[in-house]
Amino acid sequence: MVVGGTELADDRLPILRPEGNVPESARLQTTLGDDAGAVPVLLTRRDEAIGWFEEKISGALGWARANSLFQYPFVTACCGMEYMSVMCGRYDLARFGAEFPRFTPRQADLLMIVGTINVKQSPVLRRVYEQMCEPKWVMAFGVCASSGGFYDNYATVQGADRIIPVDVYVPGCPPRPEQVLDGLKILQEKIQTQRHVLHSVEQSPRVRDDKKRSFLGKLLAK
Amino acid sequence: MAQALVELLQKAHPAAVLGTHSHRGDEVVVVRRESVQDLCRFLKEGEARMQLLRDIVCVDLLTYDTEMTGGGALASNEVPAYDLARKGPREPRFYLAYNLYSVVRKQSLRLRVDLRSDDVKVPTVSDVWRTADWWERYLFDMFGIEFIGHPNLTRLLMYPEFQGHPLRKDYPTRKRQPLVDELDFPDLVRGPGPGPGGAGVPMSQTHVGRKNVDPTTYD
Repeated sequence: MVVGGTELADDRLPILRPEGNVPESARLQTTLGDDAGAVPVLLTRRDEAIGWFEEKISGALGWARANSLFQYPFVTACCGMEYMSVMCGRYDLARFGAEFPRFTPRQADLLMIVGTINVKQSPVLRRVYEQMCEPKWVMAFGVCASSGGFYDNYATVQGADRIIPVDVYVPGCPPRPEQVLDGLKILQEKIQTQRHVLHSVEQSPRVRDDKKRSFLGKLLAK
Repeated sequence: MAQALVELLQKAHPAAVLGTHSHRGDEVVVVRRESVQDLCRFLKEGEARMQLLRDIVCVDLLTYDTEMTGGGALASNEVPAYDLARKGPREPRFYLAYNLYSVVRKQSLRLRVDLRSDDVKVPTVSDVWRTADWWERYLFDMFGIEFIGHPNLTRLLMYPEFQGHPLRKDYPTRKRQPLVDELDFPDLVRGPGPGPGGAGVPMSQTHVGRKNVDPTTYD
């Protein structure tokens, strides 16, 4: 088969597949290219195979990340009592892999906002979030962190999600430890179904150059 | 029980005492503003032995005895409206109360200073009791009362960027002064959020502070 004046082997023939095992490189192409939003329907069998492996790797990484959440407890108020209960023997968050509280945000995966967030604290909270390494998730622990709770006043941020993105909200004033465990299970399910990459294709110049030289890169970049 | 204290005060400073009464078992002495320092020093160092200043509190009587006519509702960012036009704002607007206690005599006494809204100044007592330092900073923060002679009259609880005095009755109930750019999305229970966009902003225009948050981190 001849495409663009070049002869192609059979295993490099483009196939039509608008969804399914789209590899990371093809996904990035849609967002980084000039015509953003275009769906790549032309894929080679090799690209499809790469996409299949990436799906498997994503699942494995998601499983590993969901079951080894290191938390940073940002404890500001009375919900801290329930946090202690969750961490201790009777309820024992460690059973679900969230074993270690790390008291530096740089080593943590999960930011637990436990308690009321003041306007005065909001720059601190945002800095803590920005210091955490990717990938990172946020749990709002209790109604004050979720929505401000009954502190509808001049001093209180009406929910931590006004400052940083929050993944899971645990209601309650304070929440029962079972609710926190439930929230953690929901978060683990969310992490498991998210897309994880082994290394960032976007950041690596070598991979980016390789992609430009590939058949798909040539085809999409004209 | 503390009647003896009141009589002691009246005898020593008759010109400074404007009136006395008993409120639910607590003796209250309404005193002249200019003589607060002298009275406090007399009460602490004289035979009254009021070594303990329990607290200094303030009451804003702006809306006292008036009825709410609008504004200030849950989803509102307005100044709460009262029928002040009919009854007129109450003067003196602020009551400042010094709650004193004598550990030796086991008696308590309350000094009250009335302040008019056009002149909210009162001499400091922070050189009489050290604890008055922070109480006066607190009252300056929340009510905007100026304590003349205070060594460091700055805000105690709110941040320096904060404008206004939140416990005054004319401070808008849902006014917010965020320090960082906040997302402002509608509150499903209480209506549009009180962030920078204010209440009543259409849902499509409520994302005010989004520029500082990476949108790719949202789901």
